Amino acid sequence: MTSEVLADLRIATVPDRSVRDFSSYKEKMRVTDLDAGFGKKKILEDISISFKENTVTALIGPSGCGKSTFIRCLNRMHEVTHGAWINGHIMLDGDDILAPSMDPVTVRRRIGMVFQKPNPFPTMSIYDNVAAGLRLNGVRDKKVISAAVEDTLKKSFLWDEIGDRMHESGASISGGQQQRLCIARTLAVQPEVVLMDEPCSALDPIATAKIEELITQLKATYTVIVVTHNMQQAARISDFTGFLYLGRLIEVGPTTEIFQNPKNELTERYISGKFG
Amino acid sequence: MDMGEERLSNAIGDMATLAQDSVVKAIEAYEQGQRVTDAAKKRADELSNLSAEVEELCVDLLARYQPVATDLRFIKSCLEISYGFNRFGRYAYDIAQVLELYGDLSDCDKTEVHEISEKVIKMIERSIQSFKTRDTELARSLRKDDDEVDRTYLKYAAAVAKDKATTVRCALASTLVLRYLERIADHACYIGDSVAYIITGTKM
Repeated sequence: MTSEVLADLRIATVPDRSVRDFSSYKEKMRVTDLDAGFGKKKILEDISISFKENTVTALIGPSGCGKSTFIRCLNRMHEVTHGAWINGHIMLDGDDILAPSMDPVTVRRRIGMVFQKPNPFPTMSIYDNVAAGLRLNGVRDKKVISAAVEDTLKKSFLWDEIGDRMHESGASISGGQQQRLCIARTLAVQPEVVLMDEPCSALDPIATAKIEELITQLKATYTVIVVTHNMQQAARISDFTGFLYLGRLIEVGPTTEIFQNPKNELTERYISGKFG
Repeated sequence: MDMGEERLSNAIGDMATLAQDSVVKAIEAYEQGQRVTDAAKKRADELSNLSAEVEELCVDLLARYQPVATDLRFIKSCLEISYGFNRFGRYAYDIAQVLELYGDLSDCDKTEVHEISEKVIKMIERSIQSFKTRDTELARSLRKDDDEVDRTYLKYAAAVAKDKATTVRCALASTLVLRYLERIADHACYIGDSVAYIITGTKM
């Protein structure tokens, strides 16, 4: 068999996982000296981390370590909670998204978010669930909306499953499908970064496997940041892993290194299940 | 996981004892002209079975616990170390077979074999010790000894071809045994590398 034929047989939608050199990847987001909390309570302290374009970064750590607070800071969702505060810098392609002049709605369009529990709008149809974000952003052309709905449902591996049920309620499909619908809704407004806060914690293993496959496909187009409690999931899907403990970023690095040879003893003990 | 690792450590310990014993007995028999092929085969088979048990245990631990970091490196290294001990048994059997192949070798000079075998047996002991004590320095020191064994073997193999005083039968027997010892030294060295990998996470 010639090498050309072999090359044709290869599915090359995402970069080869064996390639571990990310030095040529462009930086998409940079967090510097980030502190955050609620009232007098400090939840995050002195966090600095960089996220590369077209990669998946997993954030792991025990309950209460600040993972969800951190990810909510990344698209200014944190500040919508009463008493929340944040200091430091979060740069998106060189723009400080925490700057007073930055519109939070624009930030959230560029940095989309998928939550722990699937939360489709229950009174809306599947079609309208995906179209909602576009309409909120002023898109009125039905052809444009329909094309975007089909495109994002295909990207979310849902089109083949529910493409003929577009006018049924978003709540009528399975939990795994609902979560993928939420991902489709997030993708419809064409974000640059997709944040996911424990996207599989409410799903069964089959639905989890589909979401994980979807995440590894999404990185070809987006920068993905995932909070997860599941260490094996982090190891399977991510290129980089960050370990948070008591509000501090203890260690961050290529996932292979973190899971095979972590530099910090706390990381070693946590990922080996010795505490947490 | 801790109990599983303990079982794995014990299985590797059993293999180490048997593998060392196999090589020592094969060399002694060769030097004394004793035929021990059947016993050597039995030990080689036993090592092979133990190696399969270690492999099964490793797969079981991987499937049940999805280990990471030091635990993962330990299991990976145990697979490699078990293979090394398995090979010790096989080479010991090969050494025992040399007497079957060439018959009485009492007229052959066995000085080279004796000297190299002493070095190789010490390497085996140190590879086992490095695993038991997780001693990186000891594990890494095996590379230096391996280079020395390689040099001695190659020097002998080149010299014996020109040595008209040595019979073809003696030359072939000694070269074969030295070749097996040289391979055993290689595997002792790989065991040392695997031990160092458990501790440092760095591959040689």
